[in-house]
Amino acid sequence: MSLALDVLLALALVVLAILTVAGPGLFRAIVMFIVFGLMMALAWARLGAPDLALAEAAIGAGITGALLLGAFRALVRADPAKRRAAFRRPSRLALPVAVLATVLVAVLALALAELTPGPGTAGALARAALKDVELGNAVTGVLLLFRGYDTLLEIVVLLAAWLGAFALRGDEPPAPRTESAATVPLLDALLAAVVPLAVLVAVYLLRAGGHAAGGAFQAGAVLAAALVLLVLSGRLRPTPAPDLPQRVLLVLGVVVFGLLGLAMLIVAGQMLAMPGLWAVYLVEVAMMVSIATTLALLFAGAGGLRRAP
Amino acid sequence: MSTSLVYLLASAALFGIGLYGLLTAAHVLRKLLALNVMGGAVFLLLVTRESDSKLVTLAARDGAAPDPVAQALVLTGIVVAVATTAFALALMVRLHAVSGSTELDDD
Amino acid sequence: MSMSEAAAAMLLLLGCLFYLAGTVGLLRFPDVHARLHALTKADNVGLMLVCAALALLSGSLRVAALLGLIWLLGLLAATVSAHLIARHARRHPEAHR
Repeated sequence: MSLALDVLLALALVVLAILTVAGPGLFRAIVMFIVFGLMMALAWARLGAPDLALAEAAIGAGITGALLLGAFRALVRADPAKRRAAFRRPSRLALPVAVLATVLVAVLALALAELTPGPGTAGALARAALKDVELGNAVTGVLLLFRGYDTLLEIVVLLAAWLGAFALRGDEPPAPRTESAATVPLLDALLAAVVPLAVLVAVYLLRAGGHAAGGAFQAGAVLAAALVLLVLSGRLRPTPAPDLPQRVLLVLGVVVFGLLGLAMLIVAGQMLAMPGLWAVYLVEVAMMVSIATTLALLFAGAGGLRRAP
Repeated sequence: MSTSLVYLLASAALFGIGLYGLLTAAHVLRKLLALNVMGGAVFLLLVTRESDSKLVTLAARDGAAPDPVAQALVLTGIVVAVATTAFALALMVRLHAVSGSTELDDD
Repeated sequence: MSMSEAAAAMLLLLGCLFYLAGTVGLLRFPDVHARLHALTKADNVGLMLVCAALALLSGSLRVAALLGLIWLLGLLAATVSAHLIARHARRHPEAHR
């Protein structure tokens, strides 16, 4: 019975992927991709990885979907005639290459599945080492205690993406959102309920990240989603450049994590070592704030944000 | 047929589909979607491989969760994927504003 | 199979029926308003039935309360998005064929 569910889920993933890359219409392809992300989240849950399920639903499907739809909107507004453009580039090689790649990956996967893991895999070692620390969530532990460099550079990548987009933004100020959205009474009810709840969920995810599924990335994505909602409903307006507080928020994660890492290099002789649980949570809070700000600004057109008058 | 085999085969198929889309799509946005599908395939392969039955018995005490290192890598990958996608979208919008086209030249 | 399990199974089946009807309506109805009608009505009741079934199965008041919260949030999101789509469809009929 549960195997049937997995087969169904895998089939849905494959069909949605086909519709994403080869279905008619660009808009439809984006929608299919968002559904694909949600199905991926279900697959992560089935595979016993709730952290990934949360991240995929919030970041992979949610924020990426909002970014894709925003870019599509910008294109359509600039050139309404191309709305239904869906032309393909004819290629005789594409199909054989793709089939070859599929077979290659399948053989690779099967070979890997046959491999007998030794007793000392990194994951097993990490689990064993985390027994002494008060971090019940092994993924958070690996991210911050053992792979600190990865995590630090990851938020640097996010910051670099924002910087790149900021440098690329057009000269003309970003167009305000739809004229009507600001005056829908029902939207007030939605925002009044959802925004505080999103903050609550983000804080919960951050706190839960220590011992259960959750963490800075999921929490940051939920906060970013609340900000995206505020941008979409016209409560926050894009500006050409972020003001000083926003710049501080953007770099907070990198600065806090980096300074703490350097301080530990001097005090303990080891870069990015975590002096205690408080440090883990401190870094997580700073990263959550930075991730939320960066993603929201990327959605708003890479400039800054200000409250609507 | 085990659960992990289902997802391993799915990830192979997804990789092929993504590659096909990347090669045949004319629109940059569609290419990006295909690239993201390929990324999802790789993530699926990483985590499924680590949660393979043999490992699950090894980690059964911890609730049969997949290898935390693989999960951490994939979590990093998801965030990097959204960062690159956002930057690529900004590039695409700018390309369209400058050249009026959303396709890449062949060379 | 106990009483509560049987009841949960019934609720689940009924919920799936509502989802099926809603999806068929979404795909087959002629215009935006009719489709929204099918979607929101069916999905709200469907979600309620599925949540009720899961709450029954869990047998815990905490989980039941969480599922209730999920249903309410789903209702809110569905209501507002349907309202926005319908509003846009009325003001810009050309964009919706």
